[in-house]
Amino acid sequence: MPMSLKNDYPSATDEQLVGWSREGDTEAFEQLVFRHRDKIFARALMMMRNEEEALDLSQEAWVKSWQRLHQFQGESSFATWMTRIVINLCLDQIRRQKKMRAESIEQMEEDLGGVERHMPIEHANPTEGLENDELRKRIDEAMGKLTEAHRTVLALHEFQGLEYKEIAKRVGISIGTVMSRLFYARRRMASLLQGLKRERKE
Amino acid sequence: MSSEQMLEIMALVDGELATGRRADVQRLLAADTEAATLHRELSAMRQVIRAHEPIGQVADTREFYWSQIQRRIEQEARAAAHAANPKPGLSSWLRWLVPAVGVAAVAVAVTLQQTALPSVKEVATNVDSSQTEASSLTYRSDADGVTVHWIN
Repeated sequence: MPMSLKNDYPSATDEQLVGWSREGDTEAFEQLVFRHRDKIFARALMMMRNEEEALDLSQEAWVKSWQRLHQFQGESSFATWMTRIVINLCLDQIRRQKKMRAESIEQMEEDLGGVERHMPIEHANPTEGLENDELRKRIDEAMGKLTEAHRTVLALHEFQGLEYKEIAKRVGISIGTVMSRLFYARRRMASLLQGLKRERKE
Repeated sequence: MSSEQMLEIMALVDGELATGRRADVQRLLAADTEAATLHRELSAMRQVIRAHEPIGQVADTREFYWSQIQRRIEQEARAAAHAANPKPGLSSWLRWLVPAVGVAAVAVAVTLQQTALPSVKEVATNVDSSQTEASSLTYRSDADGVTVHWIN
């Protein structure tokens, strides 16, 4: 490839940048980092709910991807491949942290089953009439109120698009537990969003 | 509505309900208002959450963020290179030290054995010096069964 075209990093496609990066071109890789860093950081932040940790894990994900670029076959987009790396790092980190602290009472109750049955069904749409930015903010706020176990399953399902079976494998729980946690997480989100809507009105 | 039915409604929303169960759950939704409301709530939540993933933004500048990643990449590359081809250091020094200590130990053992051997004078308990005048000496050790003649 002519050098003039090769140096035009901003207008190059992800595939081109990946190809050049594989040859050791760090400038091409830096362009990939710049292009996707916010998304990767956001995914880590969603999982960890801690900016410092999310920043550290997102950077670690970029280091791992540089080392494993030869494994990227282009079956999915580069962004999807990257989010998979950062999600795996987050899950590893959560597992390490879990070993160090006991589960919350709320989660223990939920795991015993039945909590979701007592939650009232939200008849009104809690997100009706909200602008996209406001809605995004509220969803972020509500997700922050979920337990780590529920947030993880919800994020893997809704944002990573994983099926129940895949989530069970990644998190190391049964499909039944995945379904139970996802059900609870969605119902709790509906309830939290409704509550936030009421709070803002007042 | 049982917990199982609730989870089946969710699985229907997610497109993960087994084909054989779909008709039953559809019948439940048609007959039970609460089930239908739950179905609507779960569908709305799924749709709204997916469409509004919270956006995060790295606060660091492009240059600073990249410099941190670059430093980590270089550190790990150095560590990998070192692991693959270690520089002469303590470990390689120890590689030589072990046989050297072995050789030294053998040498010391041999030396000690030699010094520990009883000297001729010590064992020559029965000395026959009948020819002292002729400048010859004879040493005999019964213990070792050795006789030494020394002639000047």
